[in-house]
Amino acid sequence: MIIAIAANENHLKAIVDTHFGRCDWYCIYNTETRKSFFIENPVRHSQEKAGCDAADLLIGKGIKMVVAGRFGSKVVDTFRKSNVQMIIPETQQTLKEIINQIK
Amino acid sequence: MARTKKDRLIQMAPHFCGFKPQGVQCKTSTEVFINFEEYEALNLCDYELLTQAEAAKLMNVSRPTYTRIYESVRRKIAKAFVEGSCIHFEGGNVSIANWYKCDHCKITFTIPDNSDKFCPLCKSQVITENK
Repeated sequence: MIIAIAANENHLKAIVDTHFGRCDWYCIYNTETRKSFFIENPVRHSQEKAGCDAADLLIGKGIKMVVAGRFGSKVVDTFRKSNVQMIIPETQQTLKEIINQIK
Repeated sequence: MARTKKDRLIQMAPHFCGFKPQGVQCKTSTEVFINFEEYEALNLCDYELLTQAEAAKLMNVSRPTYTRIYESVRRKIAKAFVEGSCIHFEGGNVSIANWYKCDHCKITFTIPDNSDKFCPLCKSQVITENK
């Protein structure tokens, strides 16, 4: 299973970003190979529909689970339609803590 | 200490942040803040044309409480209209329908169709649905 986590910096000690659409980086983690890599969010400065475009990009990469502090209503619709699980952590957690819990 | 407010259930948060009046400069001193439960109350009663009793059931509050929320939003909108102030959607004690909460690690998450109901982080089965 492939997981995307919204992050504000591109290392594993960064904390989960508070907003999905306009975060700086996405951490993509594969639970089978146990490898993670980062991609920069290409649409974070776009005027509108940043969340939708980012969601389409991540769905194209075949993710099944996504972690962020908040999701917009259009993003929620998009992810629900393509059966992607969304997770909102209650407290500030680092990427490493999330990955350790998921695997 | 005052009694804590029960969470009101909303179906969907508004997809924009608020309104501003045309032709006047908006002063920050005259802003009106409408919280999400008030937005939902107005939506259910005046846009989706439910009765107050039906709407109260959907929001998981009693009918008198619903009426209080509805009255408060009507007053706020009237105030903004007459005084020409900005309206912001912000805050409130709300939980959103069709999301789940894990009782153990306190995260909020959705569950995709036809899959088992358990928390994705701590794998505990003790989860509650917002409804």
